[in-house]
Amino acid sequence: MQLSYAQTISSILQEAFVYRKAVVGIFIAVNILAISSGVLWPPQYTSWSTIIVDEKNIIEPLMKGTAVTTDVTDRAKLAKEVIYGRKLMSQVAALPVWLSGDEHSAKEVDGLITKVIIPSTQITNVDKNLIRIQYTDTNAERAYSTTKKIAELFISESLAEKAKESQDAYDFISKQTEEYHEKLVNAEAQLKEFHSSNLDAQPGSEGLVGTRINSLEEKIEQTQNDLNEAETKKASLEKQLSGEAEVTTAFTREGQYRTRIGELQQQLDTLRLSYQDTYPDIVRLKHQIEDLREAIVTDQKERAQGKGRPLAANDEAMSVNPLFQELRRELSQTKTLVDTLTARLSDNRRLLTSATVRGRRVHDSEAALAELSRDYQVNRDLYQDLLKRRENARVSMNLDIANQGLTFKIHEPAMIPQYPSGPRFPHFVIGGFVFGILLPFGLLYVKQQIDPRLRMNTGLSDKLKLQVLAVIPHLANPAEERSMISSMRTLSLLVILDLGVVATVVALKSAGVI
Amino acid sequence: MSKIEDALKKVGAGKTPRNGAPPDGQQRQLARVAQPNQTSTSLTQRANSRTEIARMVETSPISEAELARNKIIHSEMTDGRVLNAFRELRTKIVQKSLNGNGVIMVTGVSFGDGASFVARNLAAAFALDESKTALLLDCNFKHPQVSAGRTSDGKLGLTDYLESEEVPVDKIIHQAGIDRFRMIPSGAHCEVPAEYFTSVRMGKLLTQLKQRYPERYVILDTPPITESADATIVAAMCDHVLLVVPYGKVTPAQIEAAVKSIDKNKLLGMVFNNEPQLPSAGFWKSFWRRKSV
Repeated sequence: MQLSYAQTISSILQEAFVYRKAVVGIFIAVNILAISSGVLWPPQYTSWSTIIVDEKNIIEPLMKGTAVTTDVTDRAKLAKEVIYGRKLMSQVAALPVWLSGDEHSAKEVDGLITKVIIPSTQITNVDKNLIRIQYTDTNAERAYSTTKKIAELFISESLAEKAKESQDAYDFISKQTEEYHEKLVNAEAQLKEFHSSNLDAQPGSEGLVGTRINSLEEKIEQTQNDLNEAETKKASLEKQLSGEAEVTTAFTREGQYRTRIGELQQQLDTLRLSYQDTYPDIVRLKHQIEDLREAIVTDQKERAQGKGRPLAANDEAMSVNPLFQELRRELSQTKTLVDTLTARLSDNRRLLTSATVRGRRVHDSEAALAELSRDYQVNRDLYQDLLKRRENARVSMNLDIANQGLTFKIHEPAMIPQYPSGPRFPHFVIGGFVFGILLPFGLLYVKQQIDPRLRMNTGLSDKLKLQVLAVIPHLANPAEERSMISSMRTLSLLVILDLGVVATVVALKSAGVI
Repeated sequence: MSKIEDALKKVGAGKTPRNGAPPDGQQRQLARVAQPNQTSTSLTQRANSRTEIARMVETSPISEAELARNKIIHSEMTDGRVLNAFRELRTKIVQKSLNGNGVIMVTGVSFGDGASFVARNLAAAFALDESKTALLLDCNFKHPQVSAGRTSDGKLGLTDYLESEEVPVDKIIHQAGIDRFRMIPSGAHCEVPAEYFTSVRMGKLLTQLKQRYPERYVILDTPPITESADATIVAAMCDHVLLVVPYGKVTPAQIEAAVKSIDKNKLLGMVFNNEPQLPSAGFWKSFWRRKSV
């Protein structure tokens, strides 16, 4: 059921009258509670300090890419880690406002830190680069000095931390660099040793050996071919030579005659070119040829008759064979050639073997060299890189040492709080009144909202479509009225009493008695 | 506990005890005379009614203080809000029931919702009007409101009438100490079977009561309709039904259930009862005055 505001208020007021005892009771209870809390509530003094975290300084653009400034992401969280740390807190606890005197047990100090100082300290990120350290205490002086100390310690601690961090980084890189340097030196020594022990192991010697082997193989092949050729020639010559006679023998005179005729005829032809046939020489020659021809005929006749002379060889008939001579010379030459080629072949073969052996050796040393060189290369690269890094780290470290990387500055120093923070006595008094009135009425409102039972006649007619003929107010008989009056009187008296108590306490408080 | 009866008793103690029921007897006779003419000459009858009613004076009226103590409205109340509310209710009922002489049943949704208070004061409101008379009939046998244990004093009630044929109507109608206000207590018998109400005698009684006087309003004070079979039966016999809804005690669902069990044509409407009130101006006046004393 939807009620208008006026209806709701009047209905709540009516109910409040019905439950007047509870309403007044709650009011007085809340009031007394508030006022006593106000009296007992200690004044709280809050002192704070803001710390600016400046990471964008002049160095950064200058050193861009060279030095890495250490980054702080969640500053408040980091600050909390540092501040709530035992190291810093024990220094705070050592302040004279906390522990005066010399000897304090660890338990006492621990209790002070965990139960008093830490719960009252608040660290917040006001802005991205602004940390606010706030400390609340009942004592203004103590709040101030604690806040101040915490802020100072935080800054020094953070800077030291940062410097240590970059120092560590530098040390680490430096150590690594040293290690690689040693490795590199080793690699270099090994390489040197290898070179000196393997002279063959020159760059490109493997290729040379290959070329040599190839040329030798070619030569051998060539020589082999030549040799084969020469041997064939030799065999052929020997064969020819065996079928040829060392000297030739003229079997008949006829052959001699014919040979002579041929010679004479030749002379004759030569002479005829210059002389006439009547030239005496020509004539003589003609006669000679004639004679020889006649001799032939005679010889033929004799041979036919079997009267010829026996074919006996005689020195006269024999002559040296020119072909044989020629062949003999050729053969001799060929034999020489075969010997030469055979010698060359075996020589070449020997060279090839030695070249192959050398090639194998060169190959092995080449692999070893590659490995050594690779080690050397890798070590050298790493070493150079580390060297560069070490220099970067050195610069970063120097930055931090010079407090140039990430700087913490006290933006707003801690002040001695002049006025207490948090709720003060007047707040409690006013709050007690307001809350004392609001609470019972609020409860009544909630009751009205939750309770499904009908309270307003409007709801009746709306929901059930039934006419409400009359709304009969409560009728009190005289006895009820009397009791109502007496209860109202009692309640009024109580309220007045309560107000009196409040007024008295306020007066005492303002007079400074309590 | 009957507050009215208490009042009557106390008042009666200081005055002469009533001798039987002479006023009622006279009225009855008059009514009998009037009855035959009612249908034909209602105008005449109406003209006569004033005089008849005027004769219905209370022999032993009870004081205002008693009325106030028993939570009965009267014309000289200091806080007029309740009085006005009942007057308004009366006017609305008269408007709705065009024909006078209605039998109005006042019932509630649950016990303790003030149906008897409303019935009593409604009757009183009718009685305030000099042209009307009211008769309150208590049907709460288990929890009698109007009277209790009166039979020992010779006061007969409804149950006595229904039980015995020999009890005449006259014997059960009693004076209430207020002008133009008569009442019938529930009677001595607490355990009454529901069949009594369905009897012809009950119907006859209601008709008789209705017609005894012109402009008579018979008001039945009954138990909550949803909790009693009697009430349902009585509802069937009366002319109008008035449902009393207490403030902040029942849910709409309960009211719905109650409405469902009543004939829609007979249901006049609802009365929202016992709405909390801030004290009246008069109260504050007395508050400060008495405080200073």
